[in-house]
Amino acid sequence: MATTRILHLSRIPPCLAVFLGLLNVFNSGNCDEQVPLILWTSEGISMPTQSPPTAGHIVGQQQLASYLEKALNVGPRNVVLFLQDKMSIEDFTMYGGAFGNKQDSVFPNLEGALRSSASSVVLPAVSWPASNAVIGQLQDQLETSPLYMDPETLSQLRLNASSPALLVFRLPYGIGADLMSAKEVLSGNDEVIGQVLSIMKTQAVPYTAIYTALRPSREAASLSLEAGVGGGRSLLQYRSPYKDRERERERQRRIKEKAGVYGPVEFKENENTCILLWAKGLSVSILRSGNWEDHDLTSSTFGEGASPKLHGSSCDKTKARLVLNYENVLGHRSFKLIFGMSQRYYKVSARRWFTLDIVELEYDGTKATFNGSRNIYAPAEYSYRCELVTSFRWPLLVPRSSKDPSNQWRVTFEDFQIQGFNVTGSDFSYASDCAGFFSPGIWMGLMTSLLMVLVLTYGLHMIMQLRTMDRFDDPKGPAISVPQTE
Amino acid sequence: MLLEWMMNGHAILYTGVTLAFWSTILIVGICYTIFDLGFRFDVAWFLTETSPFMWANLGIGLAISLSVVGAAWGIYITGSSIIGGGVKAPRIKTKNLVSIIFCEAVAIYGIIMAIVISNMAESFSGTTPETIGARNYQAGYSMFGAGLTVGFSNLFCGICVGIVGSGAALADAQNASLFVKILIVEIFGSAIGLFGVIVAILQTSKVKMGD
Repeated sequence: MATTRILHLSRIPPCLAVFLGLLNVFNSGNCDEQVPLILWTSEGISMPTQSPPTAGHIVGQQQLASYLEKALNVGPRNVVLFLQDKMSIEDFTMYGGAFGNKQDSVFPNLEGALRSSASSVVLPAVSWPASNAVIGQLQDQLETSPLYMDPETLSQLRLNASSPALLVFRLPYGIGADLMSAKEVLSGNDEVIGQVLSIMKTQAVPYTAIYTALRPSREAASLSLEAGVGGGRSLLQYRSPYKDRERERERQRRIKEKAGVYGPVEFKENENTCILLWAKGLSVSILRSGNWEDHDLTSSTFGEGASPKLHGSSCDKTKARLVLNYENVLGHRSFKLIFGMSQRYYKVSARRWFTLDIVELEYDGTKATFNGSRNIYAPAEYSYRCELVTSFRWPLLVPRSSKDPSNQWRVTFEDFQIQGFNVTGSDFSYASDCAGFFSPGIWMGLMTSLLMVLVLTYGLHMIMQLRTMDRFDDPKGPAISVPQTE
Repeated sequence: MLLEWMMNGHAILYTGVTLAFWSTILIVGICYTIFDLGFRFDVAWFLTETSPFMWANLGIGLAISLSVVGAAWGIYITGSSIIGGGVKAPRIKTKNLVSIIFCEAVAIYGIIMAIVISNMAESFSGTTPETIGARNYQAGYSMFGAGLTVGFSNLFCGICVGIVGSGAALADAQNASLFVKILIVEIFGSAIGLFGVIVAILQTSKVKMGD
């Protein structure tokens, strides 16, 4: 819904093409809501051209203030602000005739104004707390208080080119989700814009016009993360029961809401970063009286404001140990999550590999150990990354023994990346992913298909060399006679 | 001239298959090299991650199908000779059915081995190489090997017996006393099929699939 494709670019006048082209909003995957903002000056007045924001960029409050300041410093200081209740880019896509049907557009006056304007600024995505404050910003910059008007009162007003004025026209938006009413409302708003602009024209006062809204009319589409749950690939994927899936989806949604951009956990030894760890979600669960109780450790480990304690961590050339210390986890006063890695040279492949040998949970003197060396490995120069590392679903971590306390625990690391050796700077090296290109199923299929192709080739070869014997054919000679007796 | 040669069905088939095979290998190899992912090429991973059931069933399938190909080829060679020779010397037809029976025996070896091997396939409940266990892997590979053994032995045995039988039929048509001696040659040819069966039985003697 958010991407528009311009079909008949050649038939649209260039200014409008710029206007529509800038309305291309790519899904940034961000949950913030955005409101478009369009600014133009009256005919004959030009502002210095400002560089439009890059595609997909969401303009924040500061940047909006700078745009407005640049426009109002040079341009006319009479500002006509059309403030709609709600507006989103999708309204222009749906009703602006963006698919070559210019005749169905409900914004003829707006488009005409932009076309005839000497200069305009189009900001397709202004974060909506900022757009809400646009009146306040204009008020500050013009140092005048806003006048709420409608076209009738405007015709009675006498404007002066030298003194600044802020005229605000409130435009409604449809209440329900009824598409017809939204189209009519937008059409009505465009009429009002047309009237106001013609009145301003008769007054012959240069003005700057802004069209924006208080809040967005549509919520951003939410992405669904179905494919991520599976850790590696399996063609024989077992569908978990409904309740589990619901809980999983809830957790994914919560994690998506929190997923920001944060740096990895770094353990430094003598000013050099030694161990790096990053994850989108870290959680542990314990089985108590038949129920699994979870605890999410992500917020205490990653993100702003989280400073995990790394006492007890160590690293050297062959072993690395990262200890994350927490307090008050699932009723245990001190809780440690330990990652133990080692690297060595393997003769057969003639290179160094590192493995995540153990993931240990230490609490109240008890240690629950998971073994990960079987599945979690990567060449020593690279980091290891996996979409899902768990001890229960397609487990990459298994309890060390059947009597180990780790049988009562479950750990889940989502979008997990770790590196314990050969860390340069504070960035991860190339990430060796746990999901390969060919899965075992693909290999099996390829092998059997190859066999079938060989059989088919052989069969075709045989059939194609069947020939009818024509050695003794003699169409003109006598027919063969077979004697009746021996 | 080249076009005429290419219009030959065989040429198209062989060039097609060879091209497909080598280009797949070349492209996969180039991708591994360019992206420096050579470390991901892991034969042990392939052998432990592919299911033992695939190997077992390939063995069963190959056992019967290759044996039948051998038997069919032998019968078609011998049969056409008998029928052709029998036009002028009808007395050969009854005696030379023995050659056909030798060829058929090869197919019987094949089906018996296929049934024996398929009876050894049991289900197991492991999903990872550790839980599947070494015994199941050994079972899978043994069954594949046994199927291959009996299949290829019977394939060549059948062809051999067929060609010898064809010669025997035509010789018999010329001179009735030649047949008995030629039969000895056929018996030797048939023995090699039996060797294949014996070795396959030895291979699968220790197979125990299951939990």
